[in-house]
This record gives sequence, C-alpha cells and structure tokens, in this order.
Amino acid sequence: MTDDRARRPAAEDRSDDERTADHAEIDRLATELVPALIAKLAATGLGEIEVREGPWRVRVRRPAAAGTDRGRRSTDRPSRAQPGHAGHGHPPAGFETHRSAREGRGPVAHSTNGASPAGTPVGPGASDQEPSGSAGGSRTDSQTRAVATSPAVGVYQPSRDASPGSRVRSGDRLGVVDMLGVAQEVVAPADGLVGASLVEPGQAVEYGQELVIIELAAEPGQTTGRAPAGEA
Amino acid sequence: MFRKILIANRGEIALRILRACRALGVEAVVAYSEADRDSLPVQLADEAICIGPADAKRSYLSAPAMISAAIVTGCDAIHPGYGFLSEDEGFAEVVGAHDLVFIGPPAPVLDRFASKESTRRLLASHGLPTIPGSNGVLRDDAHALEEAARIGYPLLIKPSAGGGGKGMRMVRTPRELEASLNVCRSEARAAFGDDSLYLERWLDENRHVEVQVAVDRYGHGVHLGERDCSVQRRHQKILEEAPTPALSPAAREDLCNRAIRAVVEAGYENVGTLEFLVDSAGNYYFIEINCRIQVEHPVTEMLTGIDMVATQIRIAAGEPLGFTQADVVPRGHAIEFRINAEDPENDFRPSAGTIERYLAPGGPGIRMDSHLFAGYEVPPFYDSLLGKLIVWGQTREIAIARSLVALDELVLDGIITNVAIHQALLRSDAFIEGRMTTNLLDRVGGAAFLAAAART
Repeated sequence: MTDDRARRPAAEDRSDDERTADHAEIDRLATELVPALIAKLAATGLGEIEVREGPWRVRVRRPAAAGTDRGRRSTDRPSRAQPGHAGHGHPPAGFETHRSAREGRGPVAHSTNGASPAGTPVGPGASDQEPSGSAGGSRTDSQTRAVATSPAVGVYQPSRDASPGSRVRSGDRLGVVDMLGVAQEVVAPADGLVGASLVEPGQAVEYGQELVIIELAAEPGQTTGRAPAGEA
Repeated sequence: MFRKILIANRGEIALRILRACRALGVEAVVAYSEADRDSLPVQLADEAICIGPADAKRSYLSAPAMISAAIVTGCDAIHPGYGFLSEDEGFAEVVGAHDLVFIGPPAPVLDRFASKESTRRLLASHGLPTIPGSNGVLRDDAHALEEAARIGYPLLIKPSAGGGGKGMRMVRTPRELEASLNVCRSEARAAFGDDSLYLERWLDENRHVEVQVAVDRYGHGVHLGERDCSVQRRHQKILEEAPTPALSPAAREDLCNRAIRAVVEAGYENVGTLEFLVDSAGNYYFIEINCRIQVEHPVTEMLTGIDMVATQIRIAAGEPLGFTQADVVPRGHAIEFRINAEDPENDFRPSAGTIERYLAPGGPGIRMDSHLFAGYEVPPFYDSLLGKLIVWGQTREIAIARSLVALDELVLDGIITNVAIHQALLRSDAFIEGRMTTNLLDRVGGAAFLAAAART
C-alpha cells in the first residue's frame, strides 16, 4: 500500500520526466479504461461512474444538459424499441481524469471528448408530448389552471423561490425530483401564478404524478409581461 | 425471505412473478410505464408505481428509475424478469450498491458469465463440448485468417459481447472473412461498446436444446431436464417442448448431468439455462448460458411440478435449494406455444389493437400464462408476446392432440395472432416426426408453411 507518489511535491514542481510519465499514464487510461466505462455507463443508464486505479481517479459523466434542455423536447419522442435490443444507444458525452484528492495532488488532467449529447434523455419536461397524450409535464384541467407533473420517480423538493403566489413563466423551475441523487427538474407547464402544492416536500412521487397547480396568467401568449400588477 | 419485491418488468412475466410472490407470501410492487397503466399486472398488484414514459429506455430499461422506485416503495429486492435489465451485470451491481438484492445471479457471477467467448472457454474447461472455434478473441485480420484455416469453412463471426444477431456473419471463404471482419467490428462496437470477435464453425442443420439448472449459494445444484427450442423464426423461439425428440433418453441424461456438473464447478448461482446446438449426428455443443428466468420456463414446471420463479426468488434470498436431483422427476411431455401479435401470412409483421374478446382454453394439462383481458389495448411499444399456452400430456402424441383442441378453443378477437402457424406446425410431418431444425421455418417461409398445412 506504500505509494511514493503520495509524498511527491505539488504539480508545478514536477520534473519533465514525471510530467511525461503522467501524460503517458493518462493516454493509457484514456485508451484502456475510459471506453469500458463509457460502455458501462451507456448500458446502465446511470448518470455518472467513478473508479480508482492506483493513484488515478477516473470519472465518466453524462452531459448535465438533459434535464434542462427544453429546446430538444419537441423531437424527443419515444422510440418503438423492442425490449432487449435497446439500452445501448445513448453515448455519454464527457469524461474526466483526476488524481485522487487523497494523494495530495490537484487535478492534472481534465479532458472532454466531443460525443454528441443527442439521445441522452433523463427526464421529460413541459413540452414532452407522448403519443398517448398523457405525457409527463403538464395537464390542463380547465382554461384557468395547469398542473406541473413529476419528471421521474423519486423524492420531491419544491424550490424556495417558487412559493405559492409567485409568478412563473413556462419552463421555470418549480422544484426537483431526486432520482438516485440526480435532480430532475419540475418545470412550470405554462405562464402563471404558483398555486396549491399537491404533495409535501420530501414526499416520494411517481413519474407523471401531479405536483403543483399553476393558475394561468390572463394573457398566456404574452412574452414581455414580467411585471404589471393588477392584470389578474 | 424478502419483505417486498419490485417487479421490474411487464406483460405476462410481471403477472407470473406477482403470482410467485403471492404464493411465497411476499409483498410485491409492479413498476410500470405510462403505456402499461391499465395492464393486468398493474390492476392485480397490491401496489404499483409509474416509473417513466412508454419509451423503454426511460422506463423498463432505466436502471436509476427502477432502483429509485424500489427505494421509495420500501422494497428490499428487484425481480428483473427476462429481457430489459435482466442480464445487465452493471444493473445488478448498482442494485447491490443500494442495499437491494437483484433476483438472479449475484453481480460477480453475472460478470464472470457476461462474455460469451470467455464463458465458452470456462465451461469447456469444465468438460462441456463447444463448437470448434478460434482460440480466444481475434487479435487482428492475420490471426483471424490463421484460425479460420485451422477450424475450416463455413464459419460464423461472432462478437464476444451481447447478442441478438448484431455483429454476426456467416462466411464461406477467406475472402468473405476478410471483407466481413471490419463490418462486424463496427457493428459490435456500436451495439455493445466492445469490438472483440471470435470464430465458430457454422453448423448448417441443427437443433436447439437447452438445460435448465438451479444452483443455490451453497454450491448445491440440480438440473431440471432439457427443453427443445428448435422451432424458431429468425432466431426467435416460437414453440418449445420437452423432452427433446432429438436425443435418446441416455443422451439426454448425459447432457443434463454434464451441464449441471460444469456450472456448479464454474461457480454459477441461481437459476439459469445452458443452450446447446445439436447436429444431425446427435453431437451437442455448448453455445451460451442465460442467467435469468426464461420465457419457456413453464415447460419445465409442467414436467417437474417445481415452481421455477419461486425457486429463483428463494435462492436469491439465500435459502438452500431444499430438494435434490432425486426429487426432480420429469413426467410426460409438454409443449409451449408463444402466442404473438404478429401476422404469419404477412412475414410475421407485428400487429397492434384492442382485444375485443378473450377466452383462454381449459381442460386437463392446459395452462395459459397471459396478461390479456377483453378490452385490453395492446401497446405498440414493446415485444409482441400476448401470452403462452402450455400443454401437458402423458406422451408427446397426447400433448399434440390436446394442443390442437386448446388452440382451437382459444378465442382472441381484435388482433392478428400467430395461432395459425402453431396449428400448421402441429399438423406438419416435420414437427410430428420430431425433425424441426432451427432454420426450417425461415427456409420454407411462414406463408408457404401455412399453405402446405392447409392442403393436408
């Protein structure tokens, strides 16, 4: 368990030889370990995997964009994949290599490959339309109110700045559902005022469960009105 | 025993697992996608939880959604069924990391049997015959050509990871081999994130025979006989039976004994199935192991009277097997028919629709495992399996006769099914004489097979 690297001086004092050796080691990890981790990440659907190898710590992570990337939603339709044949199709987009903090050294490498973030859906959102028409995201039970629904199965926590009565725009964050440590955003399905909450903070919720009522604004199509009082 | 199990699957197998949980006195939660909100397992469950949208990648194939659902519902184990997450060693590992039990082999065991190529070598070292093939994975093109010359053509190029026919090619000459290697590598890389390949000799006319095993944590294992799954269409099984008509009783006994001895020695745990190809001379070769409950497990249940799903759950809970090889006494003959929503007249195109009327057949030796009910809308997002009819008789002749009656009794209106192909099979000489091979249906074609049956 003795590792003389742990007692080495800080990064800036390293000799050229040590730097070269480190770079060679990073190259080796990038070609040998990282592809296997990427494959594992793609197969498991996890958000992040971190492993230690000797003094190195390698973390592979999906792009964080999926939960907030509203622009992509309109095309994010369910595929008709057959069970047992899917699950290999979403490449994770980034990996990082770190020296373990335990070894007393800062990160010496940080690289990101350029894989496309396409096909890494994490949670549904406000405009996510399912063919069945019962998509997660929003339900309008009348012309005056809409309901924000859960993007995932997990534990709900409302945002502090989306308390009842506050004004929100479509897509604003109302809270999160924690699914195994990954926060999935609960977003407002329409412009309006935050109304009654249908679940308690910290409560377990299922996918598509109704969470928060949004009282619709008088002029839902309005795009400039952040302010004026008295319109309701 | 577990307190509460999350059923991480859908359709008939979700229902089958629910029934096993009830018989064991264990609570169960059915995890479902939005498309399955009105399904029978969800309706019958004490508790059900929606885990995601219809798209399987975000529901039945989402490890985080499944594990999160298990945690918030207070489950201590997850049953993955078949397909979906059932053979994903990464999933099993993450389930374990969250202090939940994966109902199947433990993650390290799944990991040991994950690569087909290394499993083949492992079990060969424990005495199972394998199809002559390359010595390990192919290093490069030159190595491939060298190994191919040693094994002899025609050959099958196979990826070491994954399955489902991706990255697989049959080649007849060195030139074809050279031309195909890169294509196979890129297909395997795209599908499984691993482009290692190996070679196997191609067996033209073969039968598919598999051995059911159950091994507990304490290294006590039994086999539960074999099943013959030679009736296939494009590598998909459509009818299974036991005992196999392909082997003599002595050869069957030998196959099953060697299979159970090899997997126990190799450290396998839980229920599993060893698949073999049997050539026209009766030689058998191990091809792969399935580390899960299989669609066709009821065939074995009909012959042995042993509940395979309950056995699987008990082993995962750490219980000893509780019976010995002498307690496994297969009786009679059983045939399972997969009732699929597909049209045999039209190249087995998948069909969708609403079940208008449904009546399951009955009588001695008849069992129907299905999630159908009148009014059920079959969602188009998943596989086409509507249910399984399993028929038992004291002899194969009696089982065939009862099967014809049962298929005739089955009422399933509102959707096109493959029942006609089963009726044609039961009337065909190839099936009656036990001569079905895995490629027969593809060679003849579904429509031609139906037409031939109609003439007799």
